Amino acid sequence: MIKTIKLAFLGLISMAFVGSAYADITFVSWGGAYTASQQKAYIDTWSKGSGVTVENYNGGLGEVKAQVEANNVTWDVVDVLPDQAITGCDEGLFLKVDQSHFIDDMVVKPVSECISPQIFWSYVAFYDPAAFPGKKPKTIKDFFDVKKFPGKRGIHTWANALIEMALVADGVKPSKVYDVMSSDGGIDRAFKKLDTIKDHVVFWSAGSKPLELVSSGEVVMSLAYNGRIGAAILQEGKNFNYIWDGQVLEQEYLVVVKGTKNEAEAREFVKHASTAESLALQAKYIPYGPMRSSSIDIIKKGEPYFNTGVDVLPHMPNTPKRLRRSVIADPFWWADNGAEVSERFGVWKGN
Amino acid sequence: MSSETISGPILTSDGIPLKVSLRKAEKRNKIRAFLLVLPLLAFILITFIIPIGDMLARSVDDRYINTVFPKTFEVFKKWDKQDLPPEEVYETMFFEINAAEGYKIGKSSTRMNYSKSGWKSLIKKSQRKFKRIKEGPYKEQMIKIDKRWGDPFYWKALGEMVDPTTMGYYLNAVDLKYDSNKEIIAQPENRRIYNHTWIKTFKVSLLVTLFTLMLGYPIAYLLATLPLKYSNLLMICVLLPFWTSLLVRTVAWMIILQQNGVFNNLMVIAGLIADENRWKLMYNETGTIIVMTQILLPFMVLPLYSVMKTISPSYMKAALNLGASPLHAFWKVYMPNSLPGISAGGLLVFIIAIGYFITPELVGGKDGQMIGNWIAYHLKTTLNWGLCAALGSILLAVMLVFYWVYNKIIGVENIKLG
Repeated sequence: MIKTIKLAFLGLISMAFVGSAYADITFVSWGGAYTASQQKAYIDTWSKGSGVTVENYNGGLGEVKAQVEANNVTWDVVDVLPDQAITGCDEGLFLKVDQSHFIDDMVVKPVSECISPQIFWSYVAFYDPAAFPGKKPKTIKDFFDVKKFPGKRGIHTWANALIEMALVADGVKPSKVYDVMSSDGGIDRAFKKLDTIKDHVVFWSAGSKPLELVSSGEVVMSLAYNGRIGAAILQEGKNFNYIWDGQVLEQEYLVVVKGTKNEAEAREFVKHASTAESLALQAKYIPYGPMRSSSIDIIKKGEPYFNTGVDVLPHMPNTPKRLRRSVIADPFWWADNGAEVSERFGVWKGN
Repeated sequence: MSSETISGPILTSDGIPLKVSLRKAEKRNKIRAFLLVLPLLAFILITFIIPIGDMLARSVDDRYINTVFPKTFEVFKKWDKQDLPPEEVYETMFFEINAAEGYKIGKSSTRMNYSKSGWKSLIKKSQRKFKRIKEGPYKEQMIKIDKRWGDPFYWKALGEMVDPTTMGYYLNAVDLKYDSNKEIIAQPENRRIYNHTWIKTFKVSLLVTLFTLMLGYPIAYLLATLPLKYSNLLMICVLLPFWTSLLVRTVAWMIILQQNGVFNNLMVIAGLIADENRWKLMYNETGTIIVMTQILLPFMVLPLYSVMKTISPSYMKAALNLGASPLHAFWKVYMPNSLPGISAGGLLVFIIAIGYFITPELVGGKDGQMIGNWIAYHLKTTLNWGLCAALGSILLAVMLVFYWVYNKIIGVENIKLG
């Protein structure tokens, strides 16, 4: 018996060695429905060279920095947020890539020379219409107005987007939000606005949580990632309403980690993953907004485009009409002030 | 005594003095024993000692930025810290930014941003635009590129970086900082987060330790004293949650304890609390304590159980026979005998709790976050590993202090796992 176990164990170990001998590209992303859409859009359609191993992570540059510093890079391509793309590119954690094939087709300018475009997603408020039999909340101002719309609000446990939303709710024009945030007293003003809902908030940290909070009636409205809300409506048939007003758009990029052992393949892969077709195909499976204009054209022509046979554009954050009342998150501002504001947000939360 | 007297040393059968032969054998044994523990020693060295050394070094290390701006810092030291620095400082800064290759400036600006938010974009923008400046004087032209070059606060923030080692990270970890003259001052009030979090971390850990003891002691007692067929069942009840994924248990608690959750619903149905006054048991400190107590309970029960198993039931019988009341007998006889288990379980739970991270992250919500959450934030998001290292080192030091105090009061030899 013990001998069998020993043999099996040795077998497993040797398999691990053989397994690592194949040079698959390791593609690291956020998991869930998002990674599933990436899988369908450009991993399944990737036929060149090696296979692709998918891993999940929880954001941040900690792991990448550790790998680069230890000179033992096991992640080849990573899906990152823009402020991380900037920091990683500046600090030499990512490789610069050829951007000529997409640079003129992007909705906003790329934030660094290391990135390939992925999607727009947004922090957006939503509610279950059943919670408001009479008047329904329409603007971010309503989200911050607990007198007009009593009940608890779900918000995330970190500061990003909340500062912006608070200012828009306080009457700042979406296009002027970062000017106010950079001016003296701008952040104070945001925190003052946040104070008005402080006793009425429930905090969430995992992306699936706000949907549960609203479904179970724990809160009457919540902020969430728009793709999660879209997936709940489109795939699970939930009845939720968005409050697009005052949404905060974030960007998502692909980068190649410096020191990767599969550099040529990784570069080819991000190129393939950021073609207009790949990005458009991804929107068939998740209602995030592609960053290339021509992808949006493909979707427009293809409506009803979503895999369940319904229109997907109503669930996308970056339609021109919605952009007028949206804040596009400024990664440079957050790269500068993120730590300070986060500490301050921690103090605000705890007191 | 026989008539033969022994003269000279005792010899073994092959003629070597016994002493020498014994010493040889002992030496061989020692080497063998050492070789046996060598893999473990190497393992501990590589996975424990070196990383801790690295962490301690990182928490004070400020060499990198000094290799990028050596001359600037040299002239910076001469500045009287009044108003703006002299032209010389601007000039050397200008040339050193231009001369830096590769990612040096990127990495430096991240470091500079820790001491004053804004350095990062200032440097990035300036690096691009410095090409326009052909000749001096540089001060005016730099301020023209970005008015932040004319803001004394940016310059003063450099003060804490001019030495290759810094206590800045440690100060940051306890809500202090250097001012421009390297005097230690308090952080502005709205950034004082760490002391508060430290206290919370210890408070939560102590409470969790206390609650696991209160809940775990009777369970362990039953486990140790019940007949085998019941105690086995009970043991399964203790171990089953232990084997269940931490995330599953955490999420289960969320469902039970949230305001529209199972527990509150039952209380409302039973009429014990009003519908509008549902208890807030989740997404705050209370939630963190409840969930951590449940998750860490086995770490208390198992050491307690293994110690209690060794306490002979005849002790208690004897005490009762001699006329002690059950309570008295328990207090004077059973409890002292179980103390090693309490110590072991208590230390184990406390040490695990103090560095806990994922449960507070998920259920901590408003005010249930602990120091581990801030370490994770800086490790992943701001990449301020110096601050992470300082926070980690303080955690380690506090742990050692606790251990020392514990050793003084109870004695380490009293820890037993069975």
